[in-house]
Amino acid sequence: MNNFWILNMGAVVLLIGIGLYCLLTMKNMVKLLIGIEIIAKGVTLAFIATGLTKNNLLLAQSLVISVIVVDVAVIATALAIIISIHRHTKSLDVRKLTKLKG
Amino acid sequence: MHLSLLIGLVVFSILSVLVRDLLKAAISLATASIFLAVIFFRMNAAYAGVFELSVVAGLITVLFITAIALTRSDEQVRESKIHKFIFPLFFLALLIIDVLVMKKLLGRIPAIGSPETGTFGEIMWKERSFDLIGQIGAIFAGVLAVLALFRPRNKSAQGDKHE
Repeated sequence: MNNFWILNMGAVVLLIGIGLYCLLTMKNMVKLLIGIEIIAKGVTLAFIATGLTKNNLLLAQSLVISVIVVDVAVIATALAIIISIHRHTKSLDVRKLTKLKG
Repeated sequence: MHLSLLIGLVVFSILSVLVRDLLKAAISLATASIFLAVIFFRMNAAYAGVFELSVVAGLITVLFITAIALTRSDEQVRESKIHKFIFPLFFLALLIIDVLVMKKLLGRIPAIGSPETGTFGEIMWKERSFDLIGQIGAIFAGVLAVLALFRPRNKSAQGDKHE
């Protein structure tokens, strides 16, 4: 069981690393949200793998459901903000958001 | 089998980051979600698997595709071309560090806790009743934020626009 947990944690580290790379290097706003999604996937996998290893799978599942639901609210709000920004700047580039003009 | 599912999950996550077309990136993300849902089902976490499959692979993908369709313009965001060289190096370094750290973790996991009693519903609604209220507040705040962002503009601005 321990080796199974270690295997899953290895995948979790890779997912969070890929998500962080996306957040740090990409310039497209939709790509940044995809990075957040990948990090959320890593977190949910960590919850379930640890819950299975520690005999607390039901509690882990209820926490994962919370994470997923809050994640949907975050993504919906962020996409609405992106659409609103696109109406003003006609672009999805984060480099065009440096000017604080009304 | 489990290892191949994890590899599929990581590969499709990488694809969703590296692919230039946003639509393909969103579909890659949905495929990664499907892999994760299958992993959850194999771990006996059926409730989490159902949510992952229906909400993340379904609803979030629909939201992404809608947003991409609404923001599609001629001007493409120019990503730097260094990613082709930097990402493999970054991923290799991450993989090596990951393997080294996980090797050190072998056999150092705390003892397994006592098994849970009760059903999923009891744990969800009795043990976690308080933080669920906060979660409902977070969802409500999200709904209000979306409504505020898409509210119609004031009448004078609309009048100017029509004229």
